[in-house]
Amino acid sequence: MVSDSIIPNAFVPSAPKDSGKKKRTHRSQRLKQCKLDARREQWLSQGAVKEKGSKEDANGARNSPPPPCNSERKKPLQNLETGQRGGTHEEENEKGSLHHDFDSDSPSNSPTGNSVLGGNSPGNNFTGSSSSSSSSGGWCSGNITEEEEEEEDEDGDNCLEDWEAMADALAATDESKQEIPNDGSCMESESSEGRHEPVGRLQSSSCGNFGFTRENVKQECPVPPPSPAPGKSRAWRPDDEFRPQSLPNLSKQRSFPKTERRYGQGGLPWVCSTAVNVPSSCPICYEDLDVTDTSFLPCLCGFRLCLFCHKRIIEEDGRCPGCRKPYKHDPVEAEASARGGSLTFRLARSCSMITRS
Amino acid sequence: MQASRARLFKEYKEVQREKSADPDIQLVCDDSNIFKWTALIKGPSETPYEGGVFQLAFSVPEQYPLQPPQVRFLTKIFHPNVHFKTGEICLDILKNAWSPAWTLQSVCRAIIALMAHPEPDSPLNCDSGNLLRSGDVRGYQSMARMYTRLAASPKKG
Repeated sequence: MVSDSIIPNAFVPSAPKDSGKKKRTHRSQRLKQCKLDARREQWLSQGAVKEKGSKEDANGARNSPPPPCNSERKKPLQNLETGQRGGTHEEENEKGSLHHDFDSDSPSNSPTGNSVLGGNSPGNNFTGSSSSSSSSGGWCSGNITEEEEEEEDEDGDNCLEDWEAMADALAATDESKQEIPNDGSCMESESSEGRHEPVGRLQSSSCGNFGFTRENVKQECPVPPPSPAPGKSRAWRPDDEFRPQSLPNLSKQRSFPKTERRYGQGGLPWVCSTAVNVPSSCPICYEDLDVTDTSFLPCLCGFRLCLFCHKRIIEEDGRCPGCRKPYKHDPVEAEASARGGSLTFRLARSCSMITRS
Repeated sequence: MQASRARLFKEYKEVQREKSADPDIQLVCDDSNIFKWTALIKGPSETPYEGGVFQLAFSVPEQYPLQPPQVRFLTKIFHPNVHFKTGEICLDILKNAWSPAWTLQSVCRAIIALMAHPEPDSPLNCDSGNLLRSGDVRGYQSMARMYTRLAASPKKG
């Protein structure tokens, strides 16, 4: 019975996509079981609200021997961790089959519908799942807000942990501004677990009896999650529809130098692609580097500074602050800095010769 | 002129923020003049200057990041590269090897390094330089230790 109830579920999403996933069903089945258990424990540990508890019990009885719920409840933190680990584990293992994730939740949400119908009519999966959706639709519409809240809560928890991990990995910038969008992106990257499910269910419940539309929805819903690669919780992509409007358009700035290249002085190397490890402020005057400055590489040693300081140095002693080698004068620059600069430079040289002789 | 002020102000903020970053250096700005700074540096360990606290006076030129600050010891120190009477320091980075990328903080670090590694071949203090050049390390060390105790150690009682 267990396998009966699960195999159709595994097939439902994969069937329309491609046939090559058949060999994976066994593994995905195991993974799904694991994930189901983890999720259930997670829910249980969160103090499972009223009727959901009973549903979960039914679910547990159906899928696997009931876990020691009481002891699990006492260690919510641990459960959270296991839940997350299960999730990430699965994400790592099967990148393409995120819809399995999605689908794996449907039995836990509508246990009665799926278990019964899945067992009864394994032949026509579509109608089976559609009717299950319709049967679960009524249940869902009642509970959806509560569910969403809870899931968002748990998303928040995951986010926190994820964010901390990410903060270790990336050198965390001190701007508190960035925390918010990153948090959001966490949510999105974890969406395979939480975010998109409520949407899917909402739609399924609103779609009511139309099984095929539900399938379509199903296919559409899992599409967004793969875009943020699993495990890497990065900031918003510029074309992301969830991206807050208040975020500055950094990507635009980054692509700016390419169009602005012509403003640069002739022979100097203008490196656009290496703009990643550019300091944010000029090491000489400590002013923020603007777009032109960040793409300005006056010395081969890689020492960057703002154009303003560069000009002053050229006029004065003409050596790179990083390696203390004289800057190579390119003709445009020499002309621009007038003859006064080069004259004093030459004078200083002759003076030193005089003192030496 | 304005640039040097801005830069010094930024450095001041940096110093305030990372006060505990380098416990051997205490860099304070004059209350009324941002071009005058004072630093207290601890003598490096395993040198005759260990246990002493040396005061440095910074005078920052208006062309500052492009020109080096003028630094001298206010505390008497027996060191081949420090003038015994004026406290003038012979250090290449304070002269021709200066780079605008250096900061007052890094100058302090360089001076601490100079205390640990004297250069007897370009002496400002000939007595000290001669002792080292003649190989009398023990003589140099005892003299330096004596002056550290006399001038740079906190007074007891």
